[in-house]
Amino acid sequence: MSTLAQIPVCVEPVTVSHGEATVGGGIGAILTEIAERLERLARTGEPGAIDLRSLPISPADRAQLLQALGTGEVDARVQANGESRIRETAVHGVWWTQHRDLDGALLASLIEIARIPDILIVGADDLLRGASRLRASLSFPSAAQGESPHGTT
Amino acid sequence: MARLELEPTIGELLDRQGVSRRSFFKYCTAMASLLALPPLAARAMAEQLLAARRPSVIYLSFQECTGCLESLTRSFAPTIENLIFNVVSLDYDDTLMAAAGAQAEQAREQAMRANYGKYLLVVDGAVPTGDGGVYHCAAGRTGLDILATCAKGAAAIVCVGTCASFGGLPSADPNPTDARAISTLVPGKPVVNVSGCPPIPEVIAGTLLQYVTSGRVPDLDEHLRPTVFFGNSIHDRCYRRPFYDQGKFAKTFDDAGARNGWCLYELGCKGPTTYNACATVKWNNAVSFPIQSGHPCLGCAEPDFWDHGSFYSPIPSPRWGKAGEVSPAQAGAIAAGAAVAGAAIGVGSVLLGRRRIARRQQEPKSQSDKGNEE
Repeated sequence: MSTLAQIPVCVEPVTVSHGEATVGGGIGAILTEIAERLERLARTGEPGAIDLRSLPISPADRAQLLQALGTGEVDARVQANGESRIRETAVHGVWWTQHRDLDGALLASLIEIARIPDILIVGADDLLRGASRLRASLSFPSAAQGESPHGTT
Repeated sequence: MARLELEPTIGELLDRQGVSRRSFFKYCTAMASLLALPPLAARAMAEQLLAARRPSVIYLSFQECTGCLESLTRSFAPTIENLIFNVVSLDYDDTLMAAAGAQAEQAREQAMRANYGKYLLVVDGAVPTGDGGVYHCAAGRTGLDILATCAKGAAAIVCVGTCASFGGLPSADPNPTDARAISTLVPGKPVVNVSGCPPIPEVIAGTLLQYVTSGRVPDLDEHLRPTVFFGNSIHDRCYRRPFYDQGKFAKTFDDAGARNGWCLYELGCKGPTTYNACATVKWNNAVSFPIQSGHPCLGCAEPDFWDHGSFYSPIPSPRWGKAGEVSPAQAGAIAAGAAVAGAAIGVGSVLLGRRRIARRQQEPKSQSDKGNEE
């Protein structure tokens, strides 16, 4: 019986051939899905997203996927209860979004296919809330001031 | 004070706390990921939750080890603070609440009165029924009595952990206290079982969140577990599955196969007959799960897992029949050698999954749709 140290360790990756390159089993399928969703976005305006954490792919496969998509022009960081980082890939309209909590732990990792990812868009409610907050901070004297229940000082 | 009729919506509460929409959207994206919803469902979920009001939650503990609550309070995403203070109103939990004794019981009674017919009852642990239920007493009452009282006005009951769901360890042979699953003791009430010993914290949180979002009990499997988390076997989602399909098995711990990360089926892995989200959601903030750490699955989310022989013996073929009505003929020659057995059980597992899905589709609406309209 050999000792532990004598047993060779060789991890066998699961691969399929995809064109000339050899990529992890699911990566080719994911790239195909992204291409299909991009076409749908252009055609109908319908955005798409792929949850990277729900896919049974290895960290090496994930790195390979992101490498295949490359690095694009936009790199946005959102500080909302922890950092979110939204990076456009070299494929326009394909974004790699990562949400982290305050401790830096990863909450979600997505490939988004959209003109602009949802989290960067400001909601209608927020626009109105912002407007009312600004108005509340303004104190222009008005004709009705004398009749204000708060009176004048 | 009774809860006011016009309890603020979750959106109003968040606004008061200065939690931005983006923060909440992020939280919903994380939850949609956990719930295996399409990622774009996060926006719809956020909108629904912001308009919803927090349901009152009464959390009862019976024959249990508090491991389930430990699991929940170590939930990473979303944090328990988010879950408790933003999405549900936890009005009674004798382990977590500051009040004790008569004050605690008073809080429970008040919350039940104010939310009669609407509150969510979360139960952790089996209930001993032997000798009139004397093996579990709190505040001078038996567990049986407390459960009956609290279940009466509940909109639904969520059983957290294998003990509450199936009797678990307290009901293991010879079951000296005649411990029983909650679903057998609350006839007519919608019950959701979130099994596991303990359940994955994100699965507990996700189940509660799903209830708050939709206002109804989720789709359930034949063991009353949410299909969104318990729809696939560990085996079907296991990253070691390719080795199983190739017939590559670890024969002992620390042999070359084990070191190479081959399938643990022959070391007793119960992944093929166990339905849970360990292989996808994983544990400790998605760091790992037992099989990834080199240990076979114990099958802790299944009924009577404690009484199914050694954790380290391969699944005997009769269990396949029992687990999902797959006959040995369908599953193939299970005993005909490791590689053949592996492939055969792979087929069996796929068959099981398909049959479960087909059965769910054929059945008229399950318990999930009964008695819970609001």
